[in-house]
Amino acid sequence: MNEKKLSYPGFLWKILGAATDGSVRFYLWMTVLTAIAVVGASAWAYQVRDGMALTGMSDHVSWGLYIANFTFGVGLAAGAVMMVIPAYLYDDEEMHEVVIVGELLAIASILVCILFVTVDLGRPDRFWHLIPGIGRFNWPISMLSWDIIVLSGYLLINLHITGYLLYTRYRGQKPNSSWYVPFVFLSVVWAISIHSVTAFLYSGLGGRPFWNSALLAPRFIVTAFVTGPAFVIVLLQLIRRLTRAKIPDGPIQTLTRVLKITILANLFMFASEAFTALYSGGSHAAALRYSLVGLHGSTILVPWVWTALGCNVVSALLLLFVRPEARWLNLACGLSFLGVWIEKGMGLIIPGFIPSTLHEIVEYAPSLTEWRISAGIWAVGLLVLTVGIKVVLAVLDGRLDATADHS
Amino acid sequence: MERRVALKVVGATLGASAFAAAMKPLAEWAETLTAEQFLQKHFKELEPEELARVLERIEEDARAKYGRTDVTVRADAPMEGVEFGYALNLSVCIGCRKCAEACHRENNHDRASDNSYIRVLEMDQGSLDLEHGNAHYDHPVPAPGKFYMPIQCQQCRNAPCVKVCPVQATWQEEDGIVVVDYDWCIGCRYCEAACPYHARRFNWQAPTIPADELNPDQGYLSNRVRPQGVMEKCTFCLHRTRRGQVPACLEACPTGARVFGNLRDPNSDIRWVLANKRVFVLKEELGTKPRFYYYFDG
Amino acid sequence: MALLASVWGCSNDAPRHRAPAPGPAAFATEIHVSERLTSIETGEETTVGTAGRVACATCHDVVDTGARAKKPEELEAFHRGLQVTHGNLACTSCHATGDPTALHLATGEMLAMSEALRLCSQCHGPQRTSFDHNAHGGLNGHWDLSRGPRLKNHCVDCHDPHAPAIGQVVPVLEPKDRGGQVEGKH
Repeated sequence: MNEKKLSYPGFLWKILGAATDGSVRFYLWMTVLTAIAVVGASAWAYQVRDGMALTGMSDHVSWGLYIANFTFGVGLAAGAVMMVIPAYLYDDEEMHEVVIVGELLAIASILVCILFVTVDLGRPDRFWHLIPGIGRFNWPISMLSWDIIVLSGYLLINLHITGYLLYTRYRGQKPNSSWYVPFVFLSVVWAISIHSVTAFLYSGLGGRPFWNSALLAPRFIVTAFVTGPAFVIVLLQLIRRLTRAKIPDGPIQTLTRVLKITILANLFMFASEAFTALYSGGSHAAALRYSLVGLHGSTILVPWVWTALGCNVVSALLLLFVRPEARWLNLACGLSFLGVWIEKGMGLIIPGFIPSTLHEIVEYAPSLTEWRISAGIWAVGLLVLTVGIKVVLAVLDGRLDATADHS
Repeated sequence: MERRVALKVVGATLGASAFAAAMKPLAEWAETLTAEQFLQKHFKELEPEELARVLERIEEDARAKYGRTDVTVRADAPMEGVEFGYALNLSVCIGCRKCAEACHRENNHDRASDNSYIRVLEMDQGSLDLEHGNAHYDHPVPAPGKFYMPIQCQQCRNAPCVKVCPVQATWQEEDGIVVVDYDWCIGCRYCEAACPYHARRFNWQAPTIPADELNPDQGYLSNRVRPQGVMEKCTFCLHRTRRGQVPACLEACPTGARVFGNLRDPNSDIRWVLANKRVFVLKEELGTKPRFYYYFDG
Repeated sequence: MALLASVWGCSNDAPRHRAPAPGPAAFATEIHVSERLTSIETGEETTVGTAGRVACATCHDVVDTGARAKKPEELEAFHRGLQVTHGNLACTSCHATGDPTALHLATGEMLAMSEALRLCSQCHGPQRTSFDHNAHGGLNGHWDLSRGPRLKNHCVDCHDPHAPAIGQVVPVLEPKDRGGQVEGKH
């Protein structure tokens, strides 16, 4: 047996080879994503040099598209390990085989989240101020400090699980369950925690009544379990279509069942929030009124919010009443993904700032710089996800194998 | 195989060079940063000699940049037995915004944005509902049926901004003033989201001030010219008040609506106001415990 | 706890001294002596373009100007056109009969013009009390009188005794907000 191939650096080298091998379609996909990523990187470089005045944010609306995408991305990362619950807690054999796809989505999503926070910083060069011991980390008082810990931990857990399973498979060995099963269970609990902590970031602010709701954390978890399954359902079908991998039907059906419940739960939670605010009235309901009908003539967010609501309602109806053919299912997944992206992104962040704490209205629209950087970051996420799936399939297929003799 | 590898190498080179070209503005920006600035410790961790060096460096940079030899940057310590308080007489404020203008000048604010730490709301008499406040009035004041409420940092005793900062770049000093270390802030703007009084400002770009308008008496924690990408806020002009002077906004007020002093001194003006006037604070239900009090006469 | 301190960083804090507490008052509070107490506007410009003023003493020390008028309309020679919008006050409510450059309190006690502050305070007690506690009329200088003096306005610096209501002013520095703006009321 060639020692070099068995070693870890050898493994990494082979991964690089597998990641860059593919069809013309694959190269086209990767090139387009890379181009978008470079455009985003360039826009960010200008933003760092010339200041965040290049964005549409202001002292009134001081968080915007970046943090909206960050919040959504954390949910996606949390929901991606949704599949772990039936696989390990309910011993669903078929689900076991595809759990790793969820893990890969989680890794790519966390990376996207880290990038979104980095581009939102006014002084990214000062990141080292966050490192405990060297900087001054405000743990446990600042919720942002908790968020950094849980997100980093989640990334490491998922990297470990995926890396370990791949490496043992590559070496032709059976994975030792005590090296990964505890981490799998930990990742489920940790997934709940990453999104609850992110919700607490917002709900802990007494000065922002729109966010200062006890329902925010539960709502975050529910919508995480909308976007995660929705994305994975479509992703599994894509893998089935574009590769030789055999994806059983069971996992897709399980995830669809989960999606049906969570999308209804989200609509119920929205109705609850809407009733609570609008029935009692007063100025603490102003932000919700701003999103739904506009306030004092400012209506820029209204079409977005109603689109999100429409997407979620149509998606729920499709899942409940229409036969589960692939195209309706995929449409429902796409609609619910979009609906939650708007609702949890712009539909959550912007009304938190409008009206402002002094009840003033200064509207916000993302600038071209923000769109470019955001597109670039999602492109990077898709790049990482594509590479991850490619490598995983190669290893699981046996094409990437230390024991075989390759020339 | 060979061709494939060659194509991969070409592709990687193209990608790398595109990325390098994209990063050029970042390299330009990085050139403006020195290693000393990058590694500078938190204000609270600076030993006296280190602090002196930092202040000297900031002075030199400011003198060179603005061509002014009279720039001094100090780091006055809080005085023993002093806790600042500020009161504002809503019966007497006429809404002229001279306080906001004085703040703009005193604190070396960016000229292009007319930035100021003070925001004055024109309110309807009979209501304290901020929803009906208007900061954009431009008619002669005081207008009939209105009263005027300037709002600035309340230097809260239980400040939400201090709680949420992930790197402790903002904290409350012993004399009650909540300060920001501009060289430590990472610009995440969580404090700006947390503040219930719209008191915090962010430097969306590097501030621009004509050299002849620069206020040369500067404090490290207060009115020195701030860098791009960091937070700032009202500091009760601590470069003045820690030397016994009144804040610039108070001096500018033509009607005497502003009262400032030491809350620990029972004979101070601020204590007299608290004892003899009907005093209230904004958003008391949030539990922020501000040091900024509002009152009406008689 | 040690772990928390090292994470937090406060174990690295440099020792910080405090500045000394405020000492006893060593400086005075000065009240500005307004030129309105000793001169009056002529309504014409000087040769250098400033508002012309003439000292009260110029006439009142020389001529017998015993206060005969009770209302401004009764003035025959000088100070014609003087508007008085100060409640229902007559000239002699404040100005001494026989010597208009002197004042008198309601008790009959005579006051020099330089003591006008006491006269204002006689009716406007609450404002005087606020003024004494630096809560009316503005202030330049120091809150800590051990470090420096302070200077305050005199009543007449802001309030013309004959027409004391303060008029309107044009506000400065309207805020410029980035992003969309809603016109008018919010």
